[in-house]
Amino acid sequence: MKRVRSLVAVSIAAALLVSACGSDSADSGTSGGASPDDVKTLVVNDAFDLKTSDPARAFELTGSVVDHAVYETALNYDGADVKKIVPGIASFKLSADNKVLTLTLEGTHTFSDGTPVTADDIVFSYQRVQGIAGNPSFLLDGVTAAKVDDKTVTLTSKTANPQLPFILPNPSLGIVNSKAVKANGGTTDAKDAAENYLNTNSAGSGPYMIDTYDVQSQVIFKTNPNYAGTKPAYGRVVMANVPGATQKVNIQAGTAQVAFSLSPDDIAALDTSKTKVIASASTTTIFMWFNMDAAFGKTAADAQFVQAMRHAINYADLLKLAGAGSAQPGGLVPLSFVGALDKDDNNSYDVDKAKSLLAESKYKGEEITILYSSDVAVGGVKIGDVAQAIEQQAAAIGVKLKLNPQPSSTSLDSFRSGKSQAGVAYWGADYPDPADYLVFAPGGDLGNRAAWAESMAPDSTKLATAAAEASGDEARAAAYIALQKQLNVEGPFIPLFQPADNTVVSSSLSNVVVNPIWGLDFASIS
Amino acid sequence: MTEPLKAEFVAKRQLIRWPVAWRQPLTMIGLVIVAIWLVVAVFGVLLEPHDPLVGATPDRLLAPSAEHLFGTDSLGRDVLSRVIAGARVTLPLSILLVVLSMVIGTVLGALAGYFGKAVDEIIMRIADLVFAFPTIILAMVVTAALGPGLENAVLAILLVSWPQYARVTRSLVLGARNSEYVIANRLLGVGVVRSLTRDILPNIAAPILVLATLDFGNAVLLLSGLSFLGLGSVPPTPEWGAMVSDGVANFDSWWIATFPGLAILTIVMAFNFLGDSLRDALDPRSRRATTGRAV
Amino acid sequence: MPEQRKPPAGSASTDPPGSAPENVAVIDATTPQDDRPRGLRARHPLLVYIVVRLGVSVLLILGVTLITFILTNLVPSNPAASALGERASSDPAAVAAFNAKYGLDKPLPQQYVIYLSRLAQLDFGDSTQTHNPVAKDLGSAFPATAELALTALTIASVLGVGLGLWAALRQRKFVDQAVRVVSIIGISTPTFWLALIVYYLFFYKLGWFPSSGRLDPQFNPPKDHTGFYTIDALIAGRPKVFWNAVGHLILPASVLVLYTVGLLARFARTAVLDVLGSDYITAARAKGLSARRVTFGYILRGALLPILTVVGLTFGSLLSGAVLTETVFAWNGLGQYAFKAATTLDLQAIMGVGIVVGVTYIAINFVVDLLYGVIDPRVRNR
Repeated sequence: MKRVRSLVAVSIAAALLVSACGSDSADSGTSGGASPDDVKTLVVNDAFDLKTSDPARAFELTGSVVDHAVYETALNYDGADVKKIVPGIASFKLSADNKVLTLTLEGTHTFSDGTPVTADDIVFSYQRVQGIAGNPSFLLDGVTAAKVDDKTVTLTSKTANPQLPFILPNPSLGIVNSKAVKANGGTTDAKDAAENYLNTNSAGSGPYMIDTYDVQSQVIFKTNPNYAGTKPAYGRVVMANVPGATQKVNIQAGTAQVAFSLSPDDIAALDTSKTKVIASASTTTIFMWFNMDAAFGKTAADAQFVQAMRHAINYADLLKLAGAGSAQPGGLVPLSFVGALDKDDNNSYDVDKAKSLLAESKYKGEEITILYSSDVAVGGVKIGDVAQAIEQQAAAIGVKLKLNPQPSSTSLDSFRSGKSQAGVAYWGADYPDPADYLVFAPGGDLGNRAAWAESMAPDSTKLATAAAEASGDEARAAAYIALQKQLNVEGPFIPLFQPADNTVVSSSLSNVVVNPIWGLDFASIS
Repeated sequence: MTEPLKAEFVAKRQLIRWPVAWRQPLTMIGLVIVAIWLVVAVFGVLLEPHDPLVGATPDRLLAPSAEHLFGTDSLGRDVLSRVIAGARVTLPLSILLVVLSMVIGTVLGALAGYFGKAVDEIIMRIADLVFAFPTIILAMVVTAALGPGLENAVLAILLVSWPQYARVTRSLVLGARNSEYVIANRLLGVGVVRSLTRDILPNIAAPILVLATLDFGNAVLLLSGLSFLGLGSVPPTPEWGAMVSDGVANFDSWWIATFPGLAILTIVMAFNFLGDSLRDALDPRSRRATTGRAV
Repeated sequence: MPEQRKPPAGSASTDPPGSAPENVAVIDATTPQDDRPRGLRARHPLLVYIVVRLGVSVLLILGVTLITFILTNLVPSNPAASALGERASSDPAAVAAFNAKYGLDKPLPQQYVIYLSRLAQLDFGDSTQTHNPVAKDLGSAFPATAELALTALTIASVLGVGLGLWAALRQRKFVDQAVRVVSIIGISTPTFWLALIVYYLFFYKLGWFPSSGRLDPQFNPPKDHTGFYTIDALIAGRPKVFWNAVGHLILPASVLVLYTVGLLARFARTAVLDVLGSDYITAARAKGLSARRVTFGYILRGALLPILTVVGLTFGSLLSGAVLTETVFAWNGLGQYAFKAATTLDLQAIMGVGIVVGVTYIAINFVVDLLYGVIDPRVRNR
């Protein structure tokens, strides 16, 4: 096989050589300098979920990686450690009541067009995120940004907001060049029209600028000459939309240096001499839910039935499906967060217990429809595979599940409507804090989707309020653990597992910094 | 008075010349493969070595072996059993699809050809419209609108497959309608329905059946294509196209996609072999009509 | 896919030798049935024919817009939700603003009229997924598919006509049967599966060809002139990019070739057989012309028009039929765009694709009809 391959390679190479001989001079001639075809390039493969690169609108992982490269944020995480905050454009001070955060600009940061970053740009950027009412707007709910002087900005929250410093490094809160954005239709209300400008231009002070942008195939970056930090090692970065299976081939063949979307099976089969795997703590929880309104949930709208299902699921089996690095948290909060629940016997595999609980429940052998997104893989695990595995496990205790796969656009809508019977879904953290999981409480965003109102579970409601108000790591951890334990007793959600979060990089790269909020830092790679 | 006319009319009848058909090796090959698949579809449950719907996680992605001749998929299910079970999904649905589109298309085409004028214009313009629209994209939009599911995929394909029958039937009816025998009968007061079913239909049945044989392959391909895109069958249904798409996500496990694909290829090929040699064996007088449908 | 097979399926029949040409039948399906010419028609038959055909084409295009519009409005789900995303679609104000922006809050007939008037200005609306004008997206997706389809079609035509000619000259011999069997297998192979197998073997296992997509990521796409990467690379004088683009074309094009070639071969065979039976070939042979001269100078020339017709029709359907191939090869053409649009319920984009493909198809049909009208006077009066 090898001989044939090299023979063909030689003949193709010979054919190319003929044309390549005359080409190099022609290339440098047309571009007036270094040939664009010869620049050393970092190629990043990702299965795109890109919608926009306008920070005030972007909310998907691909968009976050793009925005992190182009925009600096007021504060930043300490590399991969999302529990530690370091200064970005500014340093911060939080008041004792956790309500007022003061940002002080540090050093000189310059936008790609040469204008310096000022307090006005920070205020404008934050107000624009709030005013557009896009996906990331909730990050600054109840926060008022005000300029104190050219170097100082205060962020005042209505209620105690201890997690605010951990929210500000989110790439959606990247600081944009207010003058350039305003000149291109940017405003701080819903009339804003700067999205197209920001998709093809860069108005940031980050290490890179957008060179070409194609939302479906690739985003190409070039360096920002005015970047205040160290000049990045790679002069050009190509982030290409490539399906997971192809990424494995590309990274092994060296046609890509970073791959985001390999499945655990692919990773297990990787050639370790050419690649290395960077595992980071996952911030996504895959869970099962049941509608608690009898009109839609039918016989599944029954805490007893949900309890039976908790014991019907073979979690160890699901973890095998999810591959190395996956884990089963006790509650919905990911294991790496403050307030995570390590283990809870309510979510454990026990067929006998499941059967006896089922016998006491309202369920009498009816078919239960399971909604899920057919086109989504989290950490390389297809939600569809998880749903199919659960369907088999449920059948073992006599529960009939009917799978209802839909493209994510449709399935999310059905889930959101609160009128679907049951399903498998996932929740990724918007910022590394358990407060992002209060949505699962009764009457919360996700609680409502399962038609779980505050009146139906007063105990959980009380615990959720207590958790939101708790202050200090220890008190908060205890409050969130208590809440999750109660959710496991009466709630409609069954936490299934956290998939592994693996980034595969070519072994020639060093200093690769990965974190769950902004994905990957191109600039630090060497 | 109409007897001699009838004799001439019947003599012109377009029939398959079976002796010619049997002499073709392709007929036999096609028949044998179709027969094998029919046996698999009917007695499949007895042939399956494992449960096609249940797998064990430790058995995930096993390469073909004595225990699993075609290997196992990402959920540890036996691929051979799923391919066998797939015949029970695809064959009945495709037959249903072909029969339905044949009936609908033939009725509409016959009406258009028989009545002409406005009826003809309306029916045939709609048929033109469907032809101008890309089949797979139309089917894609329909299933996206109705939601995935084999029933919806069948409905979508039905929507795009009837016009070919309508066109062929129309041109055949157009020819038969103007024969002296049919005209004479009409003058003698034979009703429309009787004229169509008793006189015209037997005369044009053979070419339409040949077309249906050829169309069977298209039905299988479209059905599996939509399932491949995730717009057809719903898991865990062992549909061949959906099984091929399972293989896309597990590229290293080549067996997941290869075998169901071969299943599709063989059954479609068998029907195309059959249809092709039957068309050859069709009485030359009718050839013009069967192949007269173009764009 | 069956789609591609539709037009030639009837034409590419295996007719016994000496059968009448089927060319006329290509037209009669869409030609209004009139018994005999009168008035203007008798005096300027060609002109009337052209006008009628043009009118029919325009009506068909209107029909296509109506069908797309109706279909996309059957979609029960909420496009605002899929476009706005997880958080914003919980906000009624954002949803209302979105619906107002895309005119989704107006009654349906009014939406259709608005849509038509915008179409007249080539405004296809904005895609809810890419946030680009659909016209701009189509502008880049269409050439991608056209480049792939044209490449496949060129190769398939050369191969197909060659094989068809060979089969016809060796009629009823082994070669003839072999071509027949191979072409049936070709149309029986599921495209998406073949694409996968070819990709697995020649890229993944053997590494002979580059990965999916249109160009290796280290290359910037050449400056846009035609949208064809190969041609644009030549214009820009970047041979490396040209060869890279060619390499990326080979596998997906081969898949499309593999099943169109069968149809073309069989049609070419029929066309050649028709010519073979005609008097002028007998005459040419009687004159003692060399076999080569007769084959290429007379036979092929005589069969060229019907062959060209099928080639044209195949192109129209290849455009829409590349859907499944593009999905496997991550080729950012119309097929991928349509698929993504359909699964994300990006209505404007779906309508845009439908109209572009429908119009292309109708336009090719129109040209083919014209060609026949010009060549064969009988057609005009049918």
